Amino acid sequence: MSLAIPNGLDNTKERPGQRAPLVLGDTTYHDITETVCRVAERPPGANWFAGFLVAFALMNLLGVCIAYLIYTGVGVWGNAAPVFWGWPIVNFVFWVGIGHAGTLISAILFLFRQEWRTSINRAAEAMTIFAVACAGTFPGIHVGRAWLAFWLAPYPSLNLWMWPQFRSPLLWDVFAVSTYGTVSLLFWYMGMVPDLATFRDRSKNKWRRMAYGILALGWSGSSRHWMRYEKAYALLAAFAAPLVLSVHTIVSFDFAVSQVPGWHTTIFPPYFVAGAIFSGFAMVLTLMVPARSMLGLEKLITIRHLENMCKIILATGSIVGLAYGTEFFIAWYGQVPEEQFAFLNRALGPYWWAYLTMVSCNVLSPQLFWFKKFRTTPVLIVIVCIFVNIGMWFERFVIVVTSLSRDYLPSAWSYFSPTWVDWAMLIGSFGLFFTLFLLFCKLMPVINMAETKATLAKQYHMAHEQE
Amino acid sequence: MSDDNNTKKVHGTVAEYTSVDTLLDACRRIRDAGYTKTDAFTPFPVHGIDAALGIKPTKLPWIALAGGLTGLTIALMMQIWMNGINYPYIISGKPYISLPAFMPVAFELTILLASFGTFFGMWALNGLPKFSNPIFTDPRFDRATDDRFFLYIDAKDQSYDQAGAEKLLADTGTEYINTVVEDDSPTQIPKFLITTLITVIALSFIPALILARMRVTTSSKPRFHIFPDMDFSPARDAQQTTTLFADNRAMRPDVPGTIARGDMEDDLDFLTGIKMESLALQQINKERQLVALYPQGEDEEKPSEAAAEQGDGPEKSVMDTTPWVETNPVELTSQFVRQGQAQFNIYCSTCHGRDGRGNGLVHQRAQQIMASSWIPPASMHQDTLYSDQYPDGKLFNTISNGIRKMPGYAGQIKVRDRWAIVAYVRALQQSQNASLDFVPDSQQETIKTRKAEVEKMLKEQAEAEKKKEQERATKA
Repeated sequence: MSLAIPNGLDNTKERPGQRAPLVLGDTTYHDITETVCRVAERPPGANWFAGFLVAFALMNLLGVCIAYLIYTGVGVWGNAAPVFWGWPIVNFVFWVGIGHAGTLISAILFLFRQEWRTSINRAAEAMTIFAVACAGTFPGIHVGRAWLAFWLAPYPSLNLWMWPQFRSPLLWDVFAVSTYGTVSLLFWYMGMVPDLATFRDRSKNKWRRMAYGILALGWSGSSRHWMRYEKAYALLAAFAAPLVLSVHTIVSFDFAVSQVPGWHTTIFPPYFVAGAIFSGFAMVLTLMVPARSMLGLEKLITIRHLENMCKIILATGSIVGLAYGTEFFIAWYGQVPEEQFAFLNRALGPYWWAYLTMVSCNVLSPQLFWFKKFRTTPVLIVIVCIFVNIGMWFERFVIVVTSLSRDYLPSAWSYFSPTWVDWAMLIGSFGLFFTLFLLFCKLMPVINMAETKATLAKQYHMAHEQE
Repeated sequence: MSDDNNTKKVHGTVAEYTSVDTLLDACRRIRDAGYTKTDAFTPFPVHGIDAALGIKPTKLPWIALAGGLTGLTIALMMQIWMNGINYPYIISGKPYISLPAFMPVAFELTILLASFGTFFGMWALNGLPKFSNPIFTDPRFDRATDDRFFLYIDAKDQSYDQAGAEKLLADTGTEYINTVVEDDSPTQIPKFLITTLITVIALSFIPALILARMRVTTSSKPRFHIFPDMDFSPARDAQQTTTLFADNRAMRPDVPGTIARGDMEDDLDFLTGIKMESLALQQINKERQLVALYPQGEDEEKPSEAAAEQGDGPEKSVMDTTPWVETNPVELTSQFVRQGQAQFNIYCSTCHGRDGRGNGLVHQRAQQIMASSWIPPASMHQDTLYSDQYPDGKLFNTISNGIRKMPGYAGQIKVRDRWAIVAYVRALQQSQNASLDFVPDSQQETIKTRKAEVEKMLKEQAEAEKKKEQERATKA
């Protein structure tokens, strides 16, 4: 049953007439279980603790800032006339976008039968949930009287005698993001149940066995269960695929439905979705490349996986670049003076530095992925991906701030400056994200063992047929 | 273990395999042997096992569909009821029940409930969660979620007998056969879990109870404000005092150099079309002066005129003692008149017509639908509206404040533009009584030729008409 690969760990070479193996080395089903379970069963190392402490401290910084904000009021942010939507919305859109890669990998690539997704989908889905959690924080606290944010819910209120306004994109957002978070959570958890059963069955410790036992819901691996499970997985994937497109479309409506020059465009939905996938894949790679080597998962998350994701980044990055160009073209072609001014102001106005950062990070840096060397060298991948993440944050900044700071009335123009609370919250949201991710690495199966084993079974089968 | 088997209830027989292929073979064998209550346990979904075991497809997609339709219905009903019926929001003339705007939420709820249907439906159909399963008593079975494959024949199967099943399975390349017996591990939930659960539930009530009590309690003490919610605003009424400013006045004096709205405009004659000095000299009571300053439109309307449906301009009657500005205060230039023409065509021509004959589109429409309360717009070309009877100031005032059905246009048209309209109306009036001398010499020839042409054409037409009539007469 040996499937050893002649090239060692490099499965990026195309061998005509043969599918590239997705699980490397002389791996058996049990090896997969061992590799993945070891991550959670081993006591955490010094690296993990150091990372966790930093992330946890930053998460608490976010908590303190939120308390300070609620106690004092939103004036602690840099939001002021005319930029009433500053960093909180920038961060919100940024984090929602990050989440998209997870659902894309797990749902859309599943529907397209892209089997290379199997060993990365779990961590990507986890990333989705955590990113949505970070995203949800910002609109929740930006409503001013955050303790009354529940007024957004359509509940029969005895105090107000009124209902939410369903023609507002901001309310659509509430439904879209909460549905997205919920469905992603279901999808993630359901996919994890068979692996949690593996954890349960390997536990020596009584408490551990009980905890994983409850989470695994009594999963036994029965074929009847698997049959319904697979159907359910396919259905959820089919639901999540349009959902992931709709969520960022609706987020883009927040802007596109308004009349602010630079926002009022029909290109926003596809452009936002492409950008979201772009930034999401960059974040997956930023996380997975270090995690892969630290957790010893090189045989399961292979260079080929990384290379495929780089190709998606290259494609979506080029779409984003095309969108930037199209915006300029339409501004000129549409002949609306305010629109033309908005775009000239973006590139040449007081925020030219942000625009330059955005274009160089988002359009130029992913072009390096045309070269195989960049697609297959982990260190270079991480560097490019970090640039992409910076660029995508700036993209949201450019859209939100440049349009608002200079709209129709020159007398109302102003320059936006963030406060220390803005900075602390942005950094703190990364703390929240990484805290959750590090906990996930230690407590949950980071790789979908069941699906990876199924992929391996297919490899065995193909090898069998060739003999 | 065999000792226990004698005393415990037997649930079935299980066999262990190391590869997918042997498992699939074994599945086919026992299916062909007539067993139906069978199951396989694998660490990952094995394709082709449904056929090998004879498992029927699931009805899960129908549950998902039902969930999705429920979500769609709830979303649409909710939005239509809340925003269209129970609490109609008036937002810039948009329809209350606006389906395009309701689509995002409808889509999201459809997906949400379809996903709930799929997720919970799947676990329900699978009979999970279920934390006690006799098959888990076999210690080797732990590897069913790792790298081993198990085949199970249930004792409830009609053709089941223990020895026969074991014999059949032994033939299928199995590594190990075992009998699944009753699970004798304790079935009770541990006491501490129950205690913890009850404690947590009890504690979770406390905040809600405190809130409920605070809502109904009567107390003479002021409310406890966690969030002030702007309940204590430093705002004051106009004549009150405040400690916020050194002079203790809540009402703030104007910032030096401030000019109040309207104070920049001081030429009242220009603004009203009335000679203010003369008006002041007239010994009429104060109210009338004020009314004249800001005429209401109907003030000028004589009862006799209102009764007469004929829409002529007000005559210069004895009642009208207002000292109107006689001539346009703006210097007349061709540019100024053209400006007036543009404004006239924008604002006035809809009723009065572009030629000022009172046959604009609105009037024509009113005739068409026979609007009963419609008063025809005045023609600019009646004598009563000429400048000798109807001073420029009065015309200006009519444009500003309206008359009869005509609303005042002071809000829409700037003062200078209103004077420009006055100038243009005068030009229109003159055009009707113009002699050839008004036309520049260079164009006089053309006009003459044109006039001759028209006269000739009219003559021909008249002759042709006459001829026809004669023919008709002879025929008859």
